[in-house]
Amino acid sequence: MSRCRITAGVAVAATLFSWPALAHHSFSAEFDSNKPVELKGTVVKVEWINPHTWIHIDVKQPDGSVQRWMIEGGTPNTLLRRGLTRESLPAGTEVVVDGYRAKNGTNRANGRDVTFPDGKKLFMGSSGIGAPQDGKDPTEK
Amino acid sequence: MKPLSIAVALVVLATAGSAPAAAQDSRKFSPPRTPWGEPDLQGTYSNRTITPFERPANVNGREYFTKEEVAALESRAQQGGGDDGRSKGTRQDVERAYNDFWWDRGTKVTTPRTSLVVEPSDGRVPAQTEAAKARAADEGKRPAFRGAGATGRGTDTWLDRSTFERCITRGMPGAMSPTAYNNNYRFVQGPGFVAIQIEMLGGARVIPTDGRTHVRSTIRQWMGDSVGRWEGDTLVVDTTNFTDKVLYRGAAENLHLVERFTRVGPGEIDYRVTIEDPTTFSKPWTVAIPYVNTGEDLFEYACHEGNYGMEGILSGAREEEKTKP
Repeated sequence: MSRCRITAGVAVAATLFSWPALAHHSFSAEFDSNKPVELKGTVVKVEWINPHTWIHIDVKQPDGSVQRWMIEGGTPNTLLRRGLTRESLPAGTEVVVDGYRAKNGTNRANGRDVTFPDGKKLFMGSSGIGAPQDGKDPTEK
Repeated sequence: MKPLSIAVALVVLATAGSAPAAAQDSRKFSPPRTPWGEPDLQGTYSNRTITPFERPANVNGREYFTKEEVAALESRAQQGGGDDGRSKGTRQDVERAYNDFWWDRGTKVTTPRTSLVVEPSDGRVPAQTEAAKARAADEGKRPAFRGAGATGRGTDTWLDRSTFERCITRGMPGAMSPTAYNNNYRFVQGPGFVAIQIEMLGGARVIPTDGRTHVRSTIRQWMGDSVGRWEGDTLVVDTTNFTDKVLYRGAAENLHLVERFTRVGPGEIDYRVTIEDPTTFSKPWTVAIPYVNTGEDLFEYACHEGNYGMEGILSGAREEEKTKP
């Protein structure tokens, strides 16, 4: 493959992926792009519901108090096809959530990225269906 | 190798590279038959694909991607789009919702064509009519424009939100088009009927093939009124009688769709839909989407179950109003 062709291919790919990705509802209407949050917490429960899962986590504050947050995730159908169930994330699991806070000011955020404290990505699941990789998980090959 | 041989080899490579990535199989596939003698379309299929809907500007005039371009696209999709999202600003990042892990939009170029739009030949949706542009400018006065418009959606009431967000329907041909996940369908046949169960938002299209005609024009349905017939091995479905409550690219109650389902191999249905609405589009246009057999079950998608998103959107707008003078 010549360098020129590789460049052309990458350019096409870049064009293709400049589309906005649309969920069944508008995340930019629900969450505030001016309020990114990073939350370190422990899982309380997973609401395995449609149209999107919600992971409830307890986040310890600097003063020792605990705040409960709700994190919006993918649809259960997609997650199940990736090989996980609601039991995949038992209560007490430590997670790091990187997302944006809800516009309504409640303790809700989208789970843009959910990782374990060691950097491993949550829910790697089965790779058979071509789970995408973004290089954030050090174990990704 | 002599320089000349190298040059020849490069030319051969370049030529091979510009050929369609997967040659069209010209051999006619003879589909299995149902016990009552109709072509058998039954099974579960997915239409997820990373082939662009319209032809990207940088492949203008070209119907097919090269093999190298297909490989680059698939590699990029495998890496989650190759973009962290934040590089384009937080607004776009939040619209992207989350890491690609949560999605199921596919990582395969299921057709090497440069666009799912196959007619007109430029691979682009035809221009809207002046009447359609005028309607769009008058957005808000008609039900379909109040909620289903892709741009400028309001947040005064749930009625301002699209029927997709409201868990009602994606309409037609939206319901037959790939989206970010739940791109799964089950085809079931009986004598005189073909049913298509749709995973995204649930529901099924029950299409009669018994020769009946459309219901009268005063009867309007969210998914329109579909009647089917067999033309050789192809199921042809004609759909009219849409409502004004669902918008598809500026079209609503005057939409007329002709869909063609042809099983082109043991694992694939070639799906084509011709979209016609003289009040909206300057000419008819056709989209072709491969439906690839998955052999997997569909899951229920009870969208109303926990649609906290709607509450979040509307209450978020109320909070934002408080901060504005």
